[in-house]
Amino acid sequence: MVTREDVENIALLSKLFVPEDELDGLTKSMQEIIDFADAINNAPSGGEGFDNINNLSNVFREDEVVPSYPSEEILKNAPEQAEDHFLVRNRE
Amino acid sequence: MGTIAKIHDMLVSKQCSCAELTKSYLDEIEKANSELNAYVNITGDEALKTAQAVDKKIAGGEEIGLLEGVPMTLKDNMSTKGIETTCCSKILTGYKPIFDATVWEILKGQNAVMLGKTNMDEFAMGSSCENSYFGGAANPFNTNHVAGGSSGGVSSAVGGNIAAYGLGSDTGGSIRQPASFCGVVGLKPTYGSVSRYGLIAYASSLDQIGPITKSVEDASIVFDAISKQDKRDSTSKGNVGGETFSKLNNDIKGMKIGIAREYLDGVRDDVKEAVLAAAETYKSLGAEIVYFDLPVLKFALPVYYIIACAEASSNLGRYDGIRYGYKTEHYTGTHDMICRTRSEGFGEEVKRRILLGTYVLSAGYYDAYYKKAQDLRGTIISAFNKAFEQCDVILAPTVPMTAFEKGHAVSDPVETYLTDICTVPVNIAGLPGVSIPCGFNANGMPIGMQLIGKSFGEATILNAAYKYQQAAPEKFIDTKWGVKHKNKNILRLHHSVRR
Repeated sequence: MVTREDVENIALLSKLFVPEDELDGLTKSMQEIIDFADAINNAPSGGEGFDNINNLSNVFREDEVVPSYPSEEILKNAPEQAEDHFLVRNRE
Repeated sequence: MGTIAKIHDMLVSKQCSCAELTKSYLDEIEKANSELNAYVNITGDEALKTAQAVDKKIAGGEEIGLLEGVPMTLKDNMSTKGIETTCCSKILTGYKPIFDATVWEILKGQNAVMLGKTNMDEFAMGSSCENSYFGGAANPFNTNHVAGGSSGGVSSAVGGNIAAYGLGSDTGGSIRQPASFCGVVGLKPTYGSVSRYGLIAYASSLDQIGPITKSVEDASIVFDAISKQDKRDSTSKGNVGGETFSKLNNDIKGMKIGIAREYLDGVRDDVKEAVLAAAETYKSLGAEIVYFDLPVLKFALPVYYIIACAEASSNLGRYDGIRYGYKTEHYTGTHDMICRTRSEGFGEEVKRRILLGTYVLSAGYYDAYYKKAQDLRGTIISAFNKAFEQCDVILAPTVPMTAFEKGHAVSDPVETYLTDICTVPVNIAGLPGVSIPCGFNANGMPIGMQLIGKSFGEATILNAAYKYQQAAPEKFIDTKWGVKHKNKNILRLHHSVRR
């Protein structure tokens, strides 16, 4: 059972605001999706488990220092920047 | 002959210059795009610059590659250096990547002419393209219908002949479903055969880039070009199964084509009939049809939505208004700024999937949903492995229906998710699948079928697809025309590149 409080809590964890007037609608649609997802709890467990696709395994390499992108290029996409850093203000 | 080879011949034999060809595509885009809304960003200047470089090579007597000078497009979730890449989301408006996705690096290195970036459901989340911040792409067969999603823009552009081919991405059917709706060919390669580096992530264990083309030959050419191992994507293995083009015409006598009964459950009659008629065509080509059961398929859809949303909730955590993209204007502190940026920047479906993903990963629900879904993922993989002991290829519908009318998808999320029922199992199991046209319904809308192969079995499914295309060429787009073109001269040039 998905409650309004659940939705408020996961919205906080997701760093999303849900306006008060959308909360009931969203709770209802979340409940419908969760009911649909609940179908898997009727599935017989094959016990195979899952740890990779197509036998892919971890790729290891030496930790070598290689050139990266210039910081001024990276910062061009930042909404705000100052002195070669991303700028985050605590107030607008 | 496919469109790519035809364009190549035209260029090499100097029937037209690459600049003229590119210009004609750009003119067509200008006329058709207001109706199709396939392109969200047209890169005409860059396209003509590449075209001129190709013309210079040809004039200088240099040999050119097959993909060289061929006008194409990329879905807007593939990073293009210096060219805005938005994922069709407000939150990435204005973002210009400082690097190229590996697939684009490869094609750019072969002088592919990129006409522009194409429309998609926001962050590839959707089945109609209508979740795009820029509005949905229309179906070239009937512009009141959707192009499908999420790679709706690429499919609309290729189907409407305003790109020779394009690259899409497929997380739960996003290449195959719109390809099916728009009457074109869409290949979702084996997980790991094409590098995901520079593909803006939706669900990393499911995402895969692949070609959307008019013909099976074209899909094979593009797949062979882009399936390279890449050290920047640790899950990339390259084309383990070897190149596919030389095997397209292999005899399929004795090939075992499997039909899982569950794939036909709930499928609309016209679609089912078209797929079963294709099975008859295969029989006449000497293939053997084998029926079997794959009962675990009924859990594929919830497993997909749990895993995809869980991964999305993590992948989309990076959008915070600090490093790139949209940032809210008014806020009271850092937490407030991030929450406002995300709430204003993401669309409704994206927020819904982030919330669902966060829910299934949160303490108390993790075991019941995420862990259980991962266990079932293993069960589904084993079931496919067993199925492939009985057959070489699995034949199934791509979508249980044809392209629906605009506005139909938005009302009920669960009902909309059901359109993905035939496509998601392939992503869960990491298998290759190709959707090819197999007929038209009573209203003239295209029907698609998919051929599913073993891991890295692209050569086998493309071989089977090519044989079908040869046996039923009338089902393929080259003989069908969606958008009305008014300018006769350009129409002639375009006709000359069609079969």
